[in-house]
Amino acid sequence: MAQEESGQTSLEITCQEVVQWASAYLDEHVGDERKRHIVLHLAICAGCEAYVKQIATVRDVVGLLPKAVEQPLDSDRLRQAFAARERRSSPAGRRV
Amino acid sequence: MNVATTTYTESGGHPSALESVSLSIGTVLTYAEQQLITRLRKGEERAFDELVTKHHGALIRMAMGHVANREVAEEVVQDTWMAVIEGLDRFEGRSSLRTWIFGIMIHKAKDRGVREKRHTTFSAFESFNDDTEEAVDPSRFHQSGEWAGHWALPPQPWDDQTPEKLLASQQAVNAMNRAIEALPPTLKDVLILRDVEGVEAKEVCEILKITETNLYVRLHRARERVRQAVETYLGGC
Repeated sequence: MAQEESGQTSLEITCQEVVQWASAYLDEHVGDERKRHIVLHLAICAGCEAYVKQIATVRDVVGLLPKAVEQPLDSDRLRQAFAARERRSSPAGRRV
Repeated sequence: MNVATTTYTESGGHPSALESVSLSIGTVLTYAEQQLITRLRKGEERAFDELVTKHHGALIRMAMGHVANREVAEEVVQDTWMAVIEGLDRFEGRSSLRTWIFGIMIHKAKDRGVREKRHTTFSAFESFNDDTEEAVDPSRFHQSGEWAGHWALPPQPWDDQTPEKLLASQQAVNAMNRAIEALPPTLKDVLILRDVEGVEAKEVCEILKITETNLYVRLHRARERVRQAVETYLGGC
């Protein structure tokens, strides 16, 4: 917790605010002033440091989850439609 | 829907008549996308297969958040691909190809979802309020006193091997997938686009027609729900 790590009686932003800004902070979508407050807070707050690391882990792991290979139910119909489009837009059938 | 009579603009799927058959001068397309569109317009079936394979899974996953079941989601995405085929010659490249395709799907899925909702009630329509819901349970923070707003119950740190452990465990993968599938559509859309598909924040905003502030509010709440699922999983190990 911030108070245990720092021994201070106040911080410029609360843990709840750091939590709220965690994803924007990780994506570097916070202003310079807010970023400075968050960096200082993280340096002295083990709880928030753990939390922000966990959100970063979730962000990274979600992108690595195995993806099922999906194909349309009616691929043939799509291919036929695609081929028909080509016939329509070929020089003989193309609009001028 | 009669796709033969419906065209979609690049700003998100509203019907409109576009006349140009070439890419606009101010195109935002990458060289790779321009190459792909050239191949598609030449009628190269392999290019179309590549496009479908690349995006179909994410389109289905997102569509399922807006409609009653997988069968309807399949129909929505099938209609989306038909609209893409029909609109290919009118696509001007003012948005990325992906933004255009996902915009069409969201328009169709929402339209279908709204029509179904008139007759059906199901949990997928759980609403989400950007302004009022807290990402983390407020009871984990001191509510009053000198330390109001600071952790009362801080999270326990995960060790450095956690990502590998999570990905190696089928149980953990299932827990995360369940958490993602259970998200309300507004949260699921941003998580799938940003974290699963790796779409840049600005493009996600363009696809979903939301501000970057909204994006990060939603993205963080989505990540937090997955984090909670991981925390529960790790707590039970």
